[in-house]
Amino acid sequence: MAGGIHTDIPDDETGRLGRFLAALRPFTRSLSFVVGAVLFGFVVLVTLLGPFLTDVSPSALSMRNRFQPPSWDHWLGTDNLGRDMLARVIYGAQLSLMIGTSVVLLNAVFGVMLGALAGFYSRLDNILMRVADALMAFPAVLLAIGIAAALGPSSMTAIIALSVVYIPRTARVVRSSVLVVKQLDFVLAARAAGATDLRIILKHILPNSMAPMLVQLSFVFAYSVLSEAVLSFLGLGAPPTVPSWGILISEGRAYMREAAWLTVVPGVAIAVTALGLNLLGDGLRDVLDPRMKVAEA
Amino acid sequence: MIAYAVSRLLQAIPILFLVSLFAFGMIYLIPGDAATVMGGPEASAADLERIRENMGLNEPFLQQIVSFYVNLLQGDLGQSLMLGTPVLDAIIDRTPITLGISLYSLAVTIVFGLLTGIVAALNHNKLLDQAATLFALIGISLPNFWLALVMIVVFSVHLGWLPTGGYVPFSESPMGWLRTTTMPALALALLQAGLLTRITRSTMLEVLSQDYIRTARAKGLTEWQVIGQHALANVMMPVVTVLGLILSVLLSGSIVIEAIFGIPGLGALMGNAILSRDFPLVQGGLISIACSLLLLNIVVDVLYFWLDPRVRIKGGD
Amino acid sequence: MMKTRKARLALLSTAVAGLMSAVGSVSAQETFECPKVGGDLIVAVESGIPTLDQHTTSAGATRNIAMNIYESLITRDADMSPVLDLATDMDVSDDGLRYTFHLREGVTFHNGKPLTSADVAASFARYKEIGGNRSNLDIVETWETPDDNTFVLVLKQPQATFIENLSTYTVPIVIMPAEEAAKGVGEVDIIGTGPFKLVEFVPDSHVLLERFDDYVASDVQPGLSGFGGHKQACVDTVRFRMITETGARMAALETGEVHIATSVPATSKPRLEALDDVTLVSRLQGVSMGYPNFSRSPTDNLLVRQAMAAAINAEDIIFAASDGEYELEGALQYPSQAYYSTAGLEYYNQNDPDKASALLEEAGYDGEPVILLATQQFQWSYNAALVMNEQLKVAGFNSEVSVLDWPTALATSQNADGAWNFFFTVWTSTVQQGGPIALRNFADPNNVFTPPNNEGPAEFNAIFDRVENGATLEERIAAFGEGQEYAFENVLGITFGILRATEGLRPNVRGYKSFTNVQASNIWLDD
Repeated sequence: MAGGIHTDIPDDETGRLGRFLAALRPFTRSLSFVVGAVLFGFVVLVTLLGPFLTDVSPSALSMRNRFQPPSWDHWLGTDNLGRDMLARVIYGAQLSLMIGTSVVLLNAVFGVMLGALAGFYSRLDNILMRVADALMAFPAVLLAIGIAAALGPSSMTAIIALSVVYIPRTARVVRSSVLVVKQLDFVLAARAAGATDLRIILKHILPNSMAPMLVQLSFVFAYSVLSEAVLSFLGLGAPPTVPSWGILISEGRAYMREAAWLTVVPGVAIAVTALGLNLLGDGLRDVLDPRMKVAEA
Repeated sequence: MIAYAVSRLLQAIPILFLVSLFAFGMIYLIPGDAATVMGGPEASAADLERIRENMGLNEPFLQQIVSFYVNLLQGDLGQSLMLGTPVLDAIIDRTPITLGISLYSLAVTIVFGLLTGIVAALNHNKLLDQAATLFALIGISLPNFWLALVMIVVFSVHLGWLPTGGYVPFSESPMGWLRTTTMPALALALLQAGLLTRITRSTMLEVLSQDYIRTARAKGLTEWQVIGQHALANVMMPVVTVLGLILSVLLSGSIVIEAIFGIPGLGALMGNAILSRDFPLVQGGLISIACSLLLLNIVVDVLYFWLDPRVRIKGGD
Repeated sequence: MMKTRKARLALLSTAVAGLMSAVGSVSAQETFECPKVGGDLIVAVESGIPTLDQHTTSAGATRNIAMNIYESLITRDADMSPVLDLATDMDVSDDGLRYTFHLREGVTFHNGKPLTSADVAASFARYKEIGGNRSNLDIVETWETPDDNTFVLVLKQPQATFIENLSTYTVPIVIMPAEEAAKGVGEVDIIGTGPFKLVEFVPDSHVLLERFDDYVASDVQPGLSGFGGHKQACVDTVRFRMITETGARMAALETGEVHIATSVPATSKPRLEALDDVTLVSRLQGVSMGYPNFSRSPTDNLLVRQAMAAAINAEDIIFAASDGEYELEGALQYPSQAYYSTAGLEYYNQNDPDKASALLEEAGYDGEPVILLATQQFQWSYNAALVMNEQLKVAGFNSEVSVLDWPTALATSQNADGAWNFFFTVWTSTVQQGGPIALRNFADPNNVFTPPNNEGPAEFNAIFDRVENGATLEERIAAFGEGQEYAFENVLGITFGILRATEGLRPNVRGYKSFTNVQASNIWLDD
């Protein structure tokens, strides 16, 4: 399978919703996909419902309330300045998802565009791939902290740095797929019929390269969440006034003996989110094409 | 094969140029500078300016680029501001330490990753497969710096089995080296093992469905004979190609892991260099690391090319 | 500046007498001898060491190591009083212009070379070029080396506080061989005259020192006192291990991996105190405080600044900044110091949000953002900023916290046009070395609050002049009180309290004296 999705459409469900649901069915057969969707869905749900789950501000200090272990008043306890950890973890989720989504969007636009161009036009291919190779020669985190250090800590910096790191990898994946698809019959036919390059790319090539793209993007999301944690752990990511998970771990590490929950909770949050996304990506790959090769890191 | 090797090396030249350009350019976007760090929190503005002058940080931009490339081509990566020694020396000093831990980590990774990957493939879609895949995924999903912190609390503080950090050179005491490098190696291995498990598993699945495997099985060989004689060689190849990737990820990980365990390796050096704005060291480090990884990839590709005739036809990627 | 010759002479003779009496007291007590010799001392320090070139940095992390390797002509003792070290005596001429030092006899450098006045001259020359506090030597006209054992400093004009300045340890004028002194910043081989010599230095890992067998100790005081006194290297080696990870550092102390651990966090104290084999020693570390930006609105407005000072609950801030390890004191000197004054303390810890709101209204404050600049690396900066931020908001300020990494934050705070209204810091050596040095950061040209055109309030500068150049100690102390009062009234800075520092020791560490920097001398290890 080069990328198309084959489904059975039952006779009595020919409406749009019906076809959509039917298209989803193969996905439900993949345990990975289901578990991943549940985990990630849970994180998204908590993020969206956050303001309703707790009305405490993540930055509300209370010197009298420091180091409370998890209790009914504070489900996840309080930290060294008396701030409610549940609120902080939820806001951290919002930040991680916001950054992850932004990086994925940038990848979806620029990574796909550059990859498609490189795959389609062999003259551009050389230049683009040399630049991509040069960027990928640097270890991912090293490049990210280098860029983040240059631009100064902020959420925008994290997004830019992580995008610069992952876009070359996404571009490569898309390029590989485009290289294969552009040789296929229906593309050659479209070309012979006189369709413009742009039309061919948008209408024929990209839709059929969706599968590896989607899988890659879900992995990019997972890596973004993890890498953003490293950046903010080092103090190079989002400013500490916004409680990113990495910052929570960094702030909590001095108190690991006395208040272990301060580090355990954000660590688990990161792991659950990344795991959910990785499972999603795996599941997508299993359903769409188990033999698909995707850039791993 | 020689032709292939040469062509890859030639292809690498423009990449190397771009790499050096990125390394050079990135630094000059940085606000803040090394003088403020060297002066300490109570330094006055006048003191810092003098340090800056003495370090030559005030020369015009063009002059700095030109001297940069002139020096680079002579193999001179400059002088580290915070160490006071040549950058190349510092990197050469530190590399064996990180290399040692990386190899230790790699050994754990290969043993663990290969085993679980093979086991998973052999028990495709059964419980062991699911378990192995889950383990691999957890490895990739855990933040390794967090795991390192947890490991210190568990293994050093509560159990007292291993020291909390520091580094003992192998030449000084093999046992000491083993004790100080085990936790860092494990923290680093987790991520790698996960990757390797997945790749081994998928490659193994592909190989196991091939005709010659069915033939071997039909011939009556035991499962392990089948694997050992036929499948393993083919599985090793993708593993080899992933080597460059694994080392790259290892280096990334060691930046934080070495800082947490207090190991004076290349990762810690790069991390400190970036946080201290030690310009020459960051540049030199980035270029050395990127070049080494590029060269390693070329070596691996050439090896792969030599071993697998199919690549020659497809043209590689 | 009216000073009679008699007054100057009176001052100088007091100073000299003070030093001479310290010399005279040696014969009254026994000089220190190591009860036990041998062993390898291991100290865990909490920060990386940027450099060991002591002339070029004020970093405490450097002094912890370098002040065991190097010595100065004159330094500070445990009470922060000037004490002769490499010099055995000092003569001041009648006109107060010539300071003649005689060097300790038989001193050699770690490379075997005998110490001569030429080395002292070369070290001074280097310090005047690139030294951190070289402005202290601006008053020096020249120096002379009449013979190998004599070094003379000639001043342009008499300065009452010259000895205090010469002996400061923030960036001490350590003595190195003339060949090293000829080298540039960071290029020197670390060779000194101290009781320990450098064996190995790996910047983000460890420093290894070894006893210098040919060390000749000072006889000015019977035992170790501060950076001076009769220093003896009782242990064979000292290894300073950098363990920045707090949990790991405490664990290393608990398991006995290290003998001494610096920077014990307050939250670990209860647990560590309960242990039999860990002893904790505590001392005053520095004044946690901050200063506003006079060149940026709205902190350029006196009423706004006073509103800020009124809104502050210093106790909450210092509690958060120190995790509970603090003393609630708002002065710019410790209560035990000679210059200590309570003048102006009515502006400290006012905790009056209503007064603050009223002042804001009077000032016509229209909600302009107030940027509190901090760094996450240091708790006294980060936590203080977070707590102060909330307090200011309650009073009606539109305040926000800007968190940058330390180098960038420091650079920004030194720039009047930088995006900051208030910057957090700790004054450690600044405060410890006496009143004039403490107030110097508020006076021109240092004026940390970055006033327009780099010109601070003329009234304050006039007061500071009297602090620096007052004829008698009493005059200088009185002027200091006036200076502190002016500083607090006009909010040149806001103090939160005094931080305490705690170190942890294993039971076999004997003779340890808690001091502003780690002194490895006169410590011995029991079995």
